[in-house]
Amino acid sequence: MTVLQNLPRKKTEPVQSSMVIAGARPHDDQTEALAASIFRDFKSDFRYKEYVLGCINCGECTTGCPAARFYNFSPREMLQIAYQDDPLVLLDAMQEKIWACCQCYTCNMRCRFGNDIAGIISVMRELAVKNGLESAKEVLKPYSRILLVVMTKGTQVSPDMIQPDFFADWGPFAVARQTDIKTLRKAIPVDVLQVTDSSWEVSMQTSLELFQIYKEAGVVDMLKSIDPDLVEMIEDIVDEWREEFEEMKEKYGIGV
Amino acid sequence: MTNPKFLVIGGGPSGLSAAQDIAEAGGDAILVEKETFLGGTPKKLHYSLLAPDMKPVEEVLDPLISSVENSSVRRLLGASVKSVEKKGGRFNVTIESNGTSVSESVDAVIVATGFSHWDPHKKYEYAYGVYPDVIDFKDFEKMLSDEKIVRPSNGQQPKRIAWLLCVGSRDKQVGKFYCCRLGCAVSIKQAMEVRRIHPEIDTYVYYMDIRTYGFWEDKLYWKSMEEYGVKYIRGRIGSINKGEDGRLIAMAEDTILQRPSEVPFDMVILATGMEASEGTLEASKLLGLEIEEHGFIKPLESDSMPVSTAVPGVYVCGTATGPKAIPDSITEGSAAAMKALNYVRRRTIKVPAGA
Repeated sequence: MTVLQNLPRKKTEPVQSSMVIAGARPHDDQTEALAASIFRDFKSDFRYKEYVLGCINCGECTTGCPAARFYNFSPREMLQIAYQDDPLVLLDAMQEKIWACCQCYTCNMRCRFGNDIAGIISVMRELAVKNGLESAKEVLKPYSRILLVVMTKGTQVSPDMIQPDFFADWGPFAVARQTDIKTLRKAIPVDVLQVTDSSWEVSMQTSLELFQIYKEAGVVDMLKSIDPDLVEMIEDIVDEWREEFEEMKEKYGIGV
Repeated sequence: MTNPKFLVIGGGPSGLSAAQDIAEAGGDAILVEKETFLGGTPKKLHYSLLAPDMKPVEEVLDPLISSVENSSVRRLLGASVKSVEKKGGRFNVTIESNGTSVSESVDAVIVATGFSHWDPHKKYEYAYGVYPDVIDFKDFEKMLSDEKIVRPSNGQQPKRIAWLLCVGSRDKQVGKFYCCRLGCAVSIKQAMEVRRIHPEIDTYVYYMDIRTYGFWEDKLYWKSMEEYGVKYIRGRIGSINKGEDGRLIAMAEDTILQRPSEVPFDMVILATGMEASEGTLEASKLLGLEIEEHGFIKPLESDSMPVSTAVPGVYVCGTATGPKAIPDSITEGSAAAMKALNYVRRRTIKVPAGA
């Protein structure tokens, strides 16, 4: 019966077969429920129809993909997974593979079918964060300080915050550049205030409004599943500011 | 009653076929050809053998050309139609031929203005025009008909050649959504031709689908493997780079092995798609014909009336309405001739409605 080995597996076999192919850990009912819920959210995302059109498997996306050269990652595979209807395979891809993408959008430039592959990968990433997947936690760990500043002050990351310790994959050039960042920053033609410890001052009111937007838009909830401590920290800071802000309003008789 | 007069624009396979059939049926045909010779694109670009019977293009087209030349067809070479005016059910046309202007009044017009090969410069990642060894398959066709297969960069015989299918076809990025229908067959035929003359040259075809429809499947696709040892890689070349030894490096994903592949080649041949020729677009403007979504002339009904147009008395055949093989173009030329003859007959003889 060796001849039949290459035929597709029978439907009666557990879904695990596809998971084994995709290299996943064995799953339980909970995993299956999570996969089903992510799958539902994914397929009903308003961007899905716009980004995933179809695929003629030409492989041009993978040919041009820088990540595919170094990792076990293929944009064509991601699109195929996005296009097909296997929740467990989708979940499995979201554990690790989607984080290999460097969002350079070369696949979009190449795709002769007009798919937005990098775009659909970012939708998968969003869902990974929203559902608090372990992989997402792992990937976002180095960014907690950045998130803290962005969410409290609304500003970009200040250059001093990006330290080589957090980025194991930084090459020697990136590390070398980091050492003299004050001088390098002076060469930037636009006005960056020539500082490296902060970007620009955002008023307290703006910060509070921004946080409100994050909250309403679901960003805070999304982060909670990834890093509850960070969210707690941010909320403490914002609460403190809010009190301070109310006191200021009272003191100057604004908006009473 | 004067003999009905027909204008056939274009002297390629379909135009020749239309003019020949009109003359045979006793009509007066004027054949206008832009070039100074008959035979159209296959002759102009020096096509070599024709798929799938591996017959030289001369063997297929020369009998048609000489039959037209020995008939009552009035041939205007190096000529083009400058203006068309529809008056009293007839077409008053001005034809410029070798600097002189000719005015004619015809009963019906047959448009057989053909196609042109898509320009692969627009697909920058294939480096056509950058590396001389990346060539278009129409250029390679000329090499084959000259029986001189050499690398344009150094004049030496290549050891390994790749064909890349669907360049400028089936590609939203360049606005060419359709299949050129012939790229697969012609590329496979070229690979077979190479292997026949030089069995020592390795030939690889990069494909996403092989569309050798009908009898071409066994006569080309299967035969190329069984008898000629042509190899196939399922995946498209996404970019072409140059290696240190001056050879080309074809970067692709082998979609069956599911891994990136980088193979050095001495030559890469791009199977470019078909698009409506300039002459086709000019003719559509002159005669007020509609252009369909792919840029070709729109037939009245693409399924039931493929050679009729929305303008009464104007018929269209060959690659002016879309990608087509030579036998199909010849058949359509005859069909257009028949429709045009019947159109004139209906107008001169009173035929009961519905006949």
